[in-house]
Amino acid sequence: MHVTRVEATPKSGPGLRDVRGDVVRRQLSADHNLEFTAVKTIVGFLINSDVSHEEIAARVDDLFADPIIEHSITNQSFLGNKEIFSQTPDAVVSVGFKPGVTDNPGKAALDGFRTIFPNASLDSNISTYITYIFYGMPQGISSEWLSSTLYNNLIQRSFVTEGEMCNTGNWLMIDYPEKPPQEFKTPAHINLEISNEQLIDISETGLLALNLTEMQAIQQHYRNPEIQQFRQAAGIVEDKPTDVELECLAQTWSEHCKHKIFASKIYHTDLETGEQAVIDSIFKTHIMKPTHDMQNDVDWLLSVFHDNSGVIAWDDEWSVCMKAETHNSPSALDPYGGAMTGIVGVNRDILGTGLGARPIANTDVFCFGPPDWQGEIPDNLFHPSRVLRGVHAGVRVGGNESGIPTINGAIVFDERYLGKPLVYCGTVGLMPRKLPDGRESHIKTPSAGDVVFMVGGRVGYDGIHGATFSSLELTEESPSSAVQIGDPITQKKMIDMILEARDLGLISCITDNGAGGLSSSIGEMAEYTNGCRIDLAKVPLKQPGLSPWEILVSESQERMTVSVKPEDVTAFEKLALLHEVEATAVAEFTSTGIFHVQYGESTVAYLPIEFLHDGVPQLELESEWKIPEHKPFTPPQTADHNTILTDLLARPNIASKESWVRQYDHEVIAQTAVKPFVGVKRDGPADAGVIAPIHGNPKGLVVSCGIAPRYSDIDAGAMAAAAIDEAVRNAVCVGVDVDKIAGLDNFCWPDPIESEKTPDGKFKLAQLVRANRELERICRAYRLPCVSGKDSMKNDYGKGPNKISIPPTLLFSLFGDHPDVRNSATSDLKHPGDKLYLVGESLEELGASELAFMMTESGHAAGIGGNVPLLTDPNRLFSSYRALSKAINSGVVKTAHDCSEGGLGVALAEMCIGGRIGAKIDIDGTGNISTWARLWGESLGRIIIAVSPQNNAKFLELMTGHTTTFLGEVEATTQLSIVDGFDELISIEVNDLVTSWQGTLDLTGGVA
Amino acid sequence: MYTPKVAVLFGFGINCDHETAAVFEMVGGKSTRVHLNSFISGEDELSNYDILAVPGGFSFGDHLGSGRLMGNRMRFSLRDELLNFIKSGKPIIGICNGFQVLVKTGLLPGPDNNEPDFIQRASLTLNDSGRYEDRWVTLDFNKDSNCIWTKGLTRIDCPVRHGEGKYVMPDAESLANLANNNQITVRYVDPQKPQSDNSNDDVLPFPLSPNGSMMNIAGISDKTGLVFGLMPHPEAIYAQWLHPDFSRGGAPASTTDIQWEGQGLQIFRNAVEYIQSTH
Repeated sequence: MHVTRVEATPKSGPGLRDVRGDVVRRQLSADHNLEFTAVKTIVGFLINSDVSHEEIAARVDDLFADPIIEHSITNQSFLGNKEIFSQTPDAVVSVGFKPGVTDNPGKAALDGFRTIFPNASLDSNISTYITYIFYGMPQGISSEWLSSTLYNNLIQRSFVTEGEMCNTGNWLMIDYPEKPPQEFKTPAHINLEISNEQLIDISETGLLALNLTEMQAIQQHYRNPEIQQFRQAAGIVEDKPTDVELECLAQTWSEHCKHKIFASKIYHTDLETGEQAVIDSIFKTHIMKPTHDMQNDVDWLLSVFHDNSGVIAWDDEWSVCMKAETHNSPSALDPYGGAMTGIVGVNRDILGTGLGARPIANTDVFCFGPPDWQGEIPDNLFHPSRVLRGVHAGVRVGGNESGIPTINGAIVFDERYLGKPLVYCGTVGLMPRKLPDGRESHIKTPSAGDVVFMVGGRVGYDGIHGATFSSLELTEESPSSAVQIGDPITQKKMIDMILEARDLGLISCITDNGAGGLSSSIGEMAEYTNGCRIDLAKVPLKQPGLSPWEILVSESQERMTVSVKPEDVTAFEKLALLHEVEATAVAEFTSTGIFHVQYGESTVAYLPIEFLHDGVPQLELESEWKIPEHKPFTPPQTADHNTILTDLLARPNIASKESWVRQYDHEVIAQTAVKPFVGVKRDGPADAGVIAPIHGNPKGLVVSCGIAPRYSDIDAGAMAAAAIDEAVRNAVCVGVDVDKIAGLDNFCWPDPIESEKTPDGKFKLAQLVRANRELERICRAYRLPCVSGKDSMKNDYGKGPNKISIPPTLLFSLFGDHPDVRNSATSDLKHPGDKLYLVGESLEELGASELAFMMTESGHAAGIGGNVPLLTDPNRLFSSYRALSKAINSGVVKTAHDCSEGGLGVALAEMCIGGRIGAKIDIDGTGNISTWARLWGESLGRIIIAVSPQNNAKFLELMTGHTTTFLGEVEATTQLSIVDGFDELISIEVNDLVTSWQGTLDLTGGVA
Repeated sequence: MYTPKVAVLFGFGINCDHETAAVFEMVGGKSTRVHLNSFISGEDELSNYDILAVPGGFSFGDHLGSGRLMGNRMRFSLRDELLNFIKSGKPIIGICNGFQVLVKTGLLPGPDNNEPDFIQRASLTLNDSGRYEDRWVTLDFNKDSNCIWTKGLTRIDCPVRHGEGKYVMPDAESLANLANNNQITVRYVDPQKPQSDNSNDDVLPFPLSPNGSMMNIAGISDKTGLVFGLMPHPEAIYAQWLHPDFSRGGAPASTTDIQWEGQGLQIFRNAVEYIQSTH
């Protein structure tokens, strides 16, 4: 074995350019105002194989370089090659991966290498790198700094050649990343007969994230004489856990997997009302119970809560399911890899639903620090604009390469997300109601004796302790092994294969390998048959030497766990071979009641299933609500509302996200009827995504979301209600059938457990109580079952006075039926003469509004306090939603847009932008409240619609009994004009609105 | 009426296989999604089919250049089968990643006078913008082309969804030759201008040309007119409700009996009817 270096670099000439270099040059200009003359790039391959340099050199243009557009060179570097790089550069930076980090281009190159050299050693491997060559470097920046903008030292290495070394040609060359051999450790036995302090110490140093009560519960288990007796019989240390067992319990009992806070008993005190209450599990009380009650009323809720995603019947032949997850901690440390594993991870939840669903649509919602943040950045973390770029790229690559359209999402900005960005990724799945063999696809059918396969990627050191790590706050010492990079193509091959296996009837049970790895996936499935036996020695590894506990809990990506009846094993393996997917039998289901793990012949874990899954003690917590104090928001006496409008449109929370969203494939599968951007120039905002997933059939599915974290500053209950209402409103705007909608609740909270590091834990927990009480109240009123959800409860950075906690944030995602996508309404104004109406009521509710934040930040107001938007009568609102939805589905209304951040003023501006047309509006009739509240307030339940003159009477008839106020007309002008009776408020060119709205977040640096 | 059998390739990251199979069925074909390895292993045979479609996607993650690794698998493992398929006059279409694959295998644009020699003569490379984007473009078709896939088409709207769609050739001469042979089948155009004004070879500004392709090339065919590849996705406008102007009442109508039909479907119907005409 020896290493051969191959390099390729773009040719120059008419019409040819070095696009990778241009992108770096433009980004340095856009992000840092630095103008380089040129940036050029070299792509490098380090091939470790037994194929000779000469043989490789002869085939370089068949594989590593494209001879039409690239120069190639073997066993030397282009650096210093005067024919191609005639000028001496100012700096050269080579970036490659650290040993053991997933190198997707390297993996693909190796596959291509085997096509050409089928007899190459099986141990061959290829590592890739990119070299950036800088010309015309501006004064005052260092090459080291330049390099830091190009790589992440958690996962990558960088080699920098600068100044004089460039002149002398003393290039620092990147070398092959040799992974140091891993030391295999036989399972250790952990003595738990120690003091409480020592128990906590074991948990903390081992990153187990278990509290004292939980450590004591484990201690008790091993003191039980019955347990000791059967352990002895099984040939395992009888009175203490092995490290495999302790790690397995820590993963299974982690906050991430067990949702201990949502399951806790809470002693709640409300200092505002004097209420004292005990809540025995927020989840069971406020989420599960209402949904189960609704399940009695409808026949389409097929599977809720217990599977990887919630499943609803879509028609007689098909069902749909949806799930959203967060991947916050990994995205903070490695935005690209963290976010990519977020999206491909939630895709696997869909694949692991029932007997396997096909992912057909993605959603993503991000919360970041301000993109133009000028202040300090916490140690070990990145500037929000870099987090945005990395997260976006990860989700883009993950979604696009998997062939799943991204049809809906949002990006929210607030300073408090500096310490931890929120990366919500959601996926919708589709499956036939019945498989060809007659089984209902949403029901898993495992039995004892079934063979359990691990399918897809291999297990490596990457991703150890993800579940427990995300159950702790971030610190500067957070471990790199908790971060992984996804490999969407390995996963895509696996998805193709598994869906074929499903249709052939080969799958009896399936789940994904996410948090907790095999320990969780096999452990959860073993509950069905009450037992399993795993042999860790059979698990294929990325590199040798992993210890048994590491194999069991590693969260290495792209893996599903699938059980197959013994008689189907051969067919399953054959299918895997065809698809070039690795599938290895690693376990079998039993009915022994034991989670039994072996490494070869020796038993390394022997845990009762019941103890593993139900042994975790219930937390008991206290919460205490008091009204947060804010200076009230009082708008100035006079103001230029034209400027306020353009300023609001440019606010990151409102500004167009098109330059980012357009980089997602939102149309693959040929089903997307309402795309993320709509209107004449296809750049107006869509309220919700609408797809028609069965080809040739216009029956549709609506996907929308709502999020309003800043309302938590005043009341987290109002925040939750606003998020749910926004999701429903958005769906109504496109014409969802309000009688068939289902929701997902994804809570991201700062640590709500009072402790030394969280002195305000009781208040944060009270916020959680209020949010969930509102969730129940609104969902019951809207008949909106929550079919799946997730919580992430430790979104804090650091400890002590500099601790940054996120604002309590609920993302509410919704999916529901659309009777016929051809009747979808969109937000863009369409025809002059169309009449505009406001459906719903404006109230004096400017507290925590985008306007209040803007004016407070700029010093024009004292604070953001005041009335936060509330839903006092959701039942009444819901009936007006039903009426409007009917008007849309009967084809009467073609234009609808919801009022959210920036209220009526911003919503009207967005509608004009989409239509590139003017409108004349009078807000005089919209309530006896201040002009400010009517124009910029964010009262819930409001939708602006436009209707053609010929449909006007029909529309008004359909809306009888619902608050519907005439606003004005679409005009054949290029001007938005808003008056309040005799007072002119706004008169502005639509093009000026476009400029303000589109300018802020286009950080791409253009195309030149 | 004969029902042409269509092989829709999948595997290794191809991801438009379901909709590509669906559109052929809408126009009277019988589609089978076939994993590339089924052809290579001999489990299935290319000669069993009348039409081959290489759909869009991200085969091998576009690593080492889009279409390159998939193209190599075909070039080195399926060479004779592909040659025989073309020699027996059967049509092939490559869409997006499929187009990239056909270019990297050398099937497009192909040699001038001989049978396919699997030599790469052009490339599809990174968009000038450096970005993958999903956006709608307007395309004009070459009325002098002999391409069987594009017969009767003049102008359609459809989406592009790619990061590497810039068509390049190594020199002006080979480009001119391609144009003279009428192998430039379809080009990006400015929808505001009538078709006759779109003969300009200068690269249109972004986003009219989404990628900076030489001569605004969106798709080409081989000398026989049987092998056709394009970056945009005609299958993604099989129905009018997929057009972004649909809610505005502005989706172009179909000239066929299927009232909801979108403009893209005719391309697939052309190939099906071509096969039917030879049976």
